[in-house]
Amino acid sequence: MSLKEELKEIVGEKWVITGEESSLFSVDGFTAYKGDPSMVVLPGNEEEAVKVVRSIVKRGEKVIFRGSGTSLSGGSIPVDGEIVVGLSRLNRIEEYKGNEVIVGPGIANIMVTKNAPPHLFYAPDPASYSVSSIGGNISHDSGGIHVVKYGPTFNSVLGVKVILPDGDVEDLLFHNGQLNPMSIFIGAEGTLGAVIKARLKLFPKPESRVSVFATFDSVTDAGKAVVEIFRKGVVPSALELMDRNIIRAIESSRYKADLPNVSAMLLVELDGSIPQVKEEKEVVKGAIEDNSGRIIDAKGNEDEFWKARKGAFPSMGAISPAYVTLDCTVPRSKLPNALESIEKISREENVFIANVFHAGDGNLHPLIPYDPNNKESLLNALRVGEKISKIAITMGGVPSGEHGIGIEKISIEEMYYSEEEIAVMKRIKQTFDPNNLFNPWKIFRPKSLPRQDDVLKVMWEWE
Amino acid sequence: MRGTQRSDTIESEREVNKCVHCGFCLESCPTYVVTRSEVHSPRGRILSVKLGLDAEGIETCMYCRRCEIACPSGVKYDKIITTARRPDAFKKLMLKTLERPRLLYLGTSAVMKGNGRLSYRLRDFIASPEEPLEHEEKDPDVYLIPGCITSTFFRGTVEKALRFLQEKGFRVKILNGCCGLAHYSEGDVKGGDEALNKLVPSHIKSSGKVTLVSLSSNCTAHMREKGMNVMDFHEFMKSMNYHVRIGNKFTIHYPCHANLLGITKSLADVISDKENMVQMDDPSFECGAGGAFFLFNEKMSDLVIEEKNRKVKGSGAEIVISTNPSCSLTLKKSGKKVLHIADFL
Repeated sequence: MSLKEELKEIVGEKWVITGEESSLFSVDGFTAYKGDPSMVVLPGNEEEAVKVVRSIVKRGEKVIFRGSGTSLSGGSIPVDGEIVVGLSRLNRIEEYKGNEVIVGPGIANIMVTKNAPPHLFYAPDPASYSVSSIGGNISHDSGGIHVVKYGPTFNSVLGVKVILPDGDVEDLLFHNGQLNPMSIFIGAEGTLGAVIKARLKLFPKPESRVSVFATFDSVTDAGKAVVEIFRKGVVPSALELMDRNIIRAIESSRYKADLPNVSAMLLVELDGSIPQVKEEKEVVKGAIEDNSGRIIDAKGNEDEFWKARKGAFPSMGAISPAYVTLDCTVPRSKLPNALESIEKISREENVFIANVFHAGDGNLHPLIPYDPNNKESLLNALRVGEKISKIAITMGGVPSGEHGIGIEKISIEEMYYSEEEIAVMKRIKQTFDPNNLFNPWKIFRPKSLPRQDDVLKVMWEWE
Repeated sequence: MRGTQRSDTIESEREVNKCVHCGFCLESCPTYVVTRSEVHSPRGRILSVKLGLDAEGIETCMYCRRCEIACPSGVKYDKIITTARRPDAFKKLMLKTLERPRLLYLGTSAVMKGNGRLSYRLRDFIASPEEPLEHEEKDPDVYLIPGCITSTFFRGTVEKALRFLQEKGFRVKILNGCCGLAHYSEGDVKGGDEALNKLVPSHIKSSGKVTLVSLSSNCTAHMREKGMNVMDFHEFMKSMNYHVRIGNKFTIHYPCHANLLGITKSLADVISDKENMVQMDDPSFECGAGGAFFLFNEKMSDLVIEEKNRKVKGSGAEIVISTNPSCSLTLKKSGKKVLHIADFL
């Protein structure tokens, strides 16, 4: 029996997608490179998923795992004809117990809170939380606006069940080893194993949640205010920065929220007990005003402002059909310098760069638009992006805060890690997946390109 | 005609290129929610059009346009899907029938007696079609537009609305026909515009003295998008400062297109016993009818109907208020009482 027939027998005819329809799974949220899956399989439950993966690896075929396909680093792109195994149908909530929940990997992040007891919430909330899957969130150790206080996904995962590249299933939902054996799968981008179930931690909802919004005449001042807020001992539950360019994009999109036309805007959220939040609010206001910021009244538009922030990336679509999203992170104290450098590059290279990011944890997200019909424009955007990432690294930052290395940041990663460090990571990969069957092409630079392609060349072979 | 088609294509292409493939639309799409497959998602459909694929998803779109609300890039999805679809011969016949509700009444009555798949399906959702109510007074000041499905399957609602208008001293003419939304949904934009012109001739549209009142909220939305000044029935009630009492625990369904234009939000304003109101989860989630979608895509629509009615039942309401007729047909599968706001007059 052919693999296709075998898979059809496991999941049913209509859940194996072949032919031209399979190309609908050729890209995710990273559109600079389009892959070509040889086949797409959508198992309907955990048992089917395990059987599917076993059938594939038994034949030595390679797999790309996919959740909702919202990766911004090309995490679910089948670069060279791999089989895509989509886990979006594994979206069951098994049970809520105390402040914990067990879910399938395909469930959208938002659903975990939506279905939770009313006094609890799931804290990590990447901007794509209304659609992005828990499996993908875990594999990328996704962040979001609440990272600054509640930590990235890592801090909210209590256990996972994974399927390994040899087809074995490892149940670490309730592990109790000295070494935390499940931690290695968080942020491994599915290269070591695929999450087929997860046990998550929920936080109690705070008694009070307030927002403070402020405008600045320069992004540098806004950066200084961010540093000051922390220096005064306040840890906001969210602290975001948007510059004039991204405000312009948002205001021409569906997320239009009548944001002020200013050089920079800070969005601060404080949560906790009522007296604590009240006190912190005054401190934050002081830090903002000390750095030439002006507090603005949202006039009942608080939710719209936050929604605008969450929809900021794709709202770029309203002004440009494609864009590159960077994800480098700098130490918070270096924010003003980093922002100055980005402005300088934008001027020197004469490129439009929009900034919207998690200022509270120094996680920059410069967005660089390009014309998808003009290869040179894309390559230029990638080059400028690399320049910015390089600066972030020299300031003591990292190449990726939350979006992952994927296929996008391979060469930048090599600037950050030493050869030894990369060799260690490769040994880990080798131990779990000696035949490179799970998410090949991710994280590590391959020895050769699968095919001649300018985009891959720039992303992978840039010197 | 060639000229218009070309401009449609250009417009569609422009919208396709606006899509940045972020996937924010996925969970807003009823067919994605029940299949969780890219093939049956707005993003997948847009990519199909972009790549020129003959993908199954183009057929399975329910044309609820909820994805347009979720889209941060402001993609006008309707332009893409209406350009990608073309009705087959049977659907063309169906669309022509919708334009003449009397024919629709006779047609469905006959088909419902048969033994085919369609007969069975119709019987499953419709008790019995009724002859559309005709009414015309001299020099009308209100034109009542029931909508083709309301005319034929909810005559009682039309009667109540008419009686109300007469009691309030209006001279009424009923306009039976189709607003053209059904045509748009099948990709027949030109046919849809012709149907609307037939339903509401231009001398009525341009007359500033008359009021147009629609009993089907999605039709209200469509006619408004076509630039017509038309009131949804509840908006007319509101303008008269008239309230009704529901009298039991109720929940409000937001028909998809009406929701897109923000029409149903004010429905609660004409209800006096708001203390009986309970919210269902995601009230604008597609009802599963998708116009005539449920007649031709049984499996898919049954899954959506089931999902919708889970939300309806979860609200704990006894009564569902639905001001759009095809939604009412599928909402009845929840086992709850489904009524139009005019039914309470």
